[in-house]
Amino acid sequence: MEYVNPLTGLRIDGRRPTEMRHLKAQIGVVSKADGSALFEMGNTRVIAAVYGPREVQNKGQQMNNTEALVRCEYSMANFSTGDRARKPKGDRRSTEISLVIRQTMEACILTKLMPRSQIDIFVQVLQADGGTRSACINAATLALADAGIPMRDIVTSCSAGYLCTMPLLDLNYAEDSAGGPDVTVGILAKMDKVTLLQMDAKLPLDTFETVMQLAIEGCKAIAQYIREIMLQNTKQLECRRGS
Amino acid sequence: MGLLISKLAHYNQAQKKQNKTKNGTPKVPSSQLSTLNSFSHSLLKFTARRTPTSYQMETTQTTEGGGGGATGIAAQMEVEAFRRLFPLPFYKRHLLESVRPDARALDYARDTTISLGPVASADGSALVKIGETAMLAAIKLEVMTPSKERPDEGSIVVEFYMPPICSPMVRPGRPAEVAPVISKQLLDVIRSSGMVNLKELCLISGKASWIAYLDIYCLNADGSLFDAALLSAVAAFTHLQIPLVSVTEEGRVFTVSSEQEEKTKFELVNKEKRKLSLSSIPFPLTCVIHEDYILVDPTAEEETVMETSITLVLDTLGNLVSIYKPGGVGLASTEIMKECITRTKRRMQELKTILEESVSVMEVD
Repeated sequence: MEYVNPLTGLRIDGRRPTEMRHLKAQIGVVSKADGSALFEMGNTRVIAAVYGPREVQNKGQQMNNTEALVRCEYSMANFSTGDRARKPKGDRRSTEISLVIRQTMEACILTKLMPRSQIDIFVQVLQADGGTRSACINAATLALADAGIPMRDIVTSCSAGYLCTMPLLDLNYAEDSAGGPDVTVGILAKMDKVTLLQMDAKLPLDTFETVMQLAIEGCKAIAQYIREIMLQNTKQLECRRGS
Repeated sequence: MGLLISKLAHYNQAQKKQNKTKNGTPKVPSSQLSTLNSFSHSLLKFTARRTPTSYQMETTQTTEGGGGGATGIAAQMEVEAFRRLFPLPFYKRHLLESVRPDARALDYARDTTISLGPVASADGSALVKIGETAMLAAIKLEVMTPSKERPDEGSIVVEFYMPPICSPMVRPGRPAEVAPVISKQLLDVIRSSGMVNLKELCLISGKASWIAYLDIYCLNADGSLFDAALLSAVAAFTHLQIPLVSVTEEGRVFTVSSEQEEKTKFELVNKEKRKLSLSSIPFPLTCVIHEDYILVDPTAEEETVMETSITLVLDTLGNLVSIYKPGGVGLASTEIMKECITRTKRRMQELKTILEESVSVMEVD
């Protein structure tokens, strides 16, 4: 199948190979949560809600009392994919992604500032069209910022692949299920450090370098967008306070 | 502790001066507005994002915001503490003035909005917000063989989820208690109201029919969960577009997407029948009762403080579809039941208008 049209150089959804999907984010969508955000990357739509820091609910899980406990749960809505999923959470893929998101966010939250407490990150996928992992991490970053939890830096994530001898940025579901390699990268934007790196399928080393570089560029672009959104949100809050 | 009690006493005295007369008009008296402003200001300090649900609150908030002052903030801290420590007396003081902490009158419901078709991958979907409570409903249709007893009827499966994002009370491993209750209530109401004629979900009698999976997700739980859930289910059914279907030679039924419509070689079975005709749409209203007061469309806080709630469902033909009063401290006399029914009738008209407006907005697009 022609994932990249040889004549025009465009992908099946009309994007250029190094073009990301349309981003849209909104902060504060769940009023009951301490922090929440809705993040859209093209047709992938994800809500993240953060509750915390609050009292540890399961004392058995608390490893040490010098750091906060970070918990994460990823679940997909039944109608999020094309075919109705039968078991939206508790299946292996959801457990794996929950673990990945938790460890990625743990790297950037200053847990030592909040000992003996718990931070819960819940992510719900409303529409899935490839790149749900990345959208969840981006949404979680915004939600943590909205909740006012101290972080080292903002974490952003983006995926890239390699199809028809071209590195492609931000794969959608059709391109992801094509069987080519899929590299997901999560970076701490300003410190320029990689916290998450996942790849499947085979890829020669030098091509891998190109694809990973492309994904890092994508992450930086998302970080730029996230900063704008947070700035807008702060201005709104300032306005409401009347100062 | 002593200091707190003396400050609370001071607050009580200030409240007593304002609670002179009891008026039953829906408008908020101006003397109460200043206290409410301080409530809203303190609310703004602790939960930076909570948007007010009454227009009067909105306009006065911006002017009050910069002020406050040292004594103002001291009084506001006591208000929040009083609200947490003594929720029932806090509400009682408001009820005496026929108003609620968010400046609503006792018989006013929160702003309701319906948006059709937010989920593009589903056959029918709707997002409903009543105040802060948000529900997302989506319907997906699949083909199945009908049962032998009812060969020309489809079926509906309703599932209601409260994911952990919706409320701090819901945690993984500790699912919300009310979720299966509301799920059952929804199924009962949808079936008994006869809104959807199951015969319309039939494709080929005895061989193939539709099963409609209705999934409702609560995105924000702030009271009146059943109301929002039923409204979103109704709106999703209104938005539902039945996909085109055709049959292969072996008799296998498969759905045809709209792009393939011209290219398919097989006969399209249901070209004309694309939308459901809904008769007698049910509309709900939840009220909480406290002594003789009826509070319409409670928030989550009001539901927990005043533990008795009644849910009534009326349909557009004026029939009572469901009454649900699951015990509770408050006892409902016949007068109170009649009052609730009147309020539900009014609410039904409101919701009907809102639903019709959103349908016409969608059709314009």
